[in-house]
Amino acid sequence: MIDEWYPVGLFSRLDRSGSKTALMGEPINVGLDAAGNASVTGGNGRALPARVRYGHVWSSLGEPKKELFAIPEADQPGRRFIDIGVVRVRCSPLRAVENFLDIAHFPFVHTDILGAEPHTEVQNYKVEIREDDDEVWATQVKFYQPQAAKSASGGITTDYMYRVPAPTCSVLYKTCPPRPGEWDVITLFVQPLAEDLCDVWPWMALFDDETPMTDLIHFQQMIFLQDRSILENQIPRLLPLDPGMEIPTRADLTSVAYRRWLKRHNYTYGAQLVAQ
Amino acid sequence: MPVALSADLPAGTVIPARVPAGSIALWRSASGRLAASADRCPHRGMRLSHGFVRGEALSCIYHGWSYAQAGNCLRIPAHPKLTPPETIRVATHAVEEADGVIWVAVGEPASKPPQMGGFVPLRSLTARAGIAALEAATGATAGPEGLDWRTPNAPAIRLLLVPQEGGETLIHVLLDGAASPSERIAASRAAESARRKAEDLQERDIAQ
Amino acid sequence: MKLYDYVLSPSCYKVRLMAALAGVKLETRPVDFHPGAEHRGPELMALNPAGSIPILEDGDLILTESSAMLVYLAAKAAPEWLGSGKPDEAARVQQWLSFSGRLTVSLGGARLHEMLRRPGDIETLRAEGVATLRELEAGLVEQAERGMRFLAADRPTVSDIACFPYVALAPDGGVSLDPYPAIRLWSRAIRALDAFIEMPGIHRLHELKPEPGIEPEEA
Repeated sequence: MIDEWYPVGLFSRLDRSGSKTALMGEPINVGLDAAGNASVTGGNGRALPARVRYGHVWSSLGEPKKELFAIPEADQPGRRFIDIGVVRVRCSPLRAVENFLDIAHFPFVHTDILGAEPHTEVQNYKVEIREDDDEVWATQVKFYQPQAAKSASGGITTDYMYRVPAPTCSVLYKTCPPRPGEWDVITLFVQPLAEDLCDVWPWMALFDDETPMTDLIHFQQMIFLQDRSILENQIPRLLPLDPGMEIPTRADLTSVAYRRWLKRHNYTYGAQLVAQ
Repeated sequence: MPVALSADLPAGTVIPARVPAGSIALWRSASGRLAASADRCPHRGMRLSHGFVRGEALSCIYHGWSYAQAGNCLRIPAHPKLTPPETIRVATHAVEEADGVIWVAVGEPASKPPQMGGFVPLRSLTARAGIAALEAATGATAGPEGLDWRTPNAPAIRLLLVPQEGGETLIHVLLDGAASPSERIAASRAAESARRKAEDLQERDIAQ
Repeated sequence: MKLYDYVLSPSCYKVRLMAALAGVKLETRPVDFHPGAEHRGPELMALNPAGSIPILEDGDLILTESSAMLVYLAAKAAPEWLGSGKPDEAARVQQWLSFSGRLTVSLGGARLHEMLRRPGDIETLRAEGVATLRELEAGLVEQAERGMRFLAADRPTVSDIACFPYVALAPDGGVSLDPYPAIRLWSRAIRALDAFIEMPGIHRLHELKPEPGIEPEEA
């Protein structure tokens, strides 16, 4: 997992003096160079690769073989981009992603917002690992939601698609109330600080001209903060990649595919195998 | 081992507790029956002590999976019509309640938990100190029934001491059943003082 | 009444909660505390030079201390939340209102450090947090011996609302609530109140709603 791109900061909040953070156990510094470009340096002062995309600075301790994944919707005119802001969580970066892919928890954790009893049933949906892009995709996901988004005025059945384009990133596409036929895009970019500690950088690209920016930020922060106390109380901390310790059901097809995909690629930073 | 006081576990609630095997979800059903389940839902590993009790079942806060007192999974809300397979279950421990104290079986215990002989529970607290420091702080010795602590002009106090991880001690404070509310408050304050003293001693590593 | 509010702020939540319990409708003006640091920007600093939120505005009255806001809401709409006025009860209300500031500094500071990466000496903040929780636990034990389920009386007062949020969110800062049985019971009693509202990090008490019934088609 060392040759992957990871988010390390918000571009809009960088300055010349830089700020200290970490990536997979190594201290790094993220700032701006004299020309105003993002600059990332490693523990011994060595230059690390840097990219600026989706409002965030991305870097790697290794040598990524591909450019950062694409989100075509981010280039659509009329989209608003929202930097949600970082939240630190004492959990495996992989657990953070897996929680983002899950919908069965909506009625219990995001009660009366993303779900409510008795509407707890998870209908069958479609999951695949798309070999050409080498990404996990879940489509035809539906769930009844009392308040699906800041722009929703009542309960609706929301359509979802989930995508995992990188081991610690996920992109969610959901029903866009102001523009039926388009998808709102909500992402979770996770920075692994250590195997059991991560900084989570949510981001959005929406069609919503009405809602004030701060309201949109607060709505997403609220949703994520409701998950945080779950994430910090899962045992074991590291994500089990082998069956036995944890029992999935049909509602968990996305997470099952994600774990299989991680194992296939030997993406084990933040994971544990049964043998350990 | 004594894990909690009855008064601290009302019907329809769940609390975390510890036994040598690890963390447990100690709960009381709506009808008042006690159960001790392993503190981990087999779905995605969420602590069951963060869950909720409805009727005779304990449900996990994450996805609402609910478990009977015997440990078998009763319901998976994502699949309401599914009868969960027998393989989905949580381990349970034998639990008993006597004289206001809740005991969980560790290994193969003798038939019944010990009786408290006229002592009634007051409160539980945790000290960052070991038993030796608590003995030094109270000037009493821990015996098989607990640490019996007598101070002049005050009702007798019995401390049940349960070693925890990291050198901590869980202390259940009991005192003479005839004690008045103001005597009980005084005993609570005495326990706080003893803890302060024991922690100070522990920090300075003085233990007789 | 306008509340300058941040959804993740326990201090702002105290006011939102008190308003809900007292039946007061608040206009909320969201403040981009994180990541925007709007509370430190010119508009809000002009209103509150302390650079903190919440801020409560009611006509000419501008309040910048959350305890004062709780008292104001109660005095206007639900005076029973101020207590009976008996001297020892009034004193207890004041004692725990003052105490609540220490929860904000210690448990709140630990939470900001662990969750939002704010600077701080985490070990000291947690140690102070544990000390305050122990004092609260002892206080609640004694209140129970006096036949009272809340900090100042047998019914909740503004002092309970002032203390509740930072205590309930102590685990956000890595301070466990497991060792405090009296705090657990008190927290539950508050969460079970009519008109209680949550904030992120404080889950709904699902047990208060019965298990959903069997679908009609299966009957």
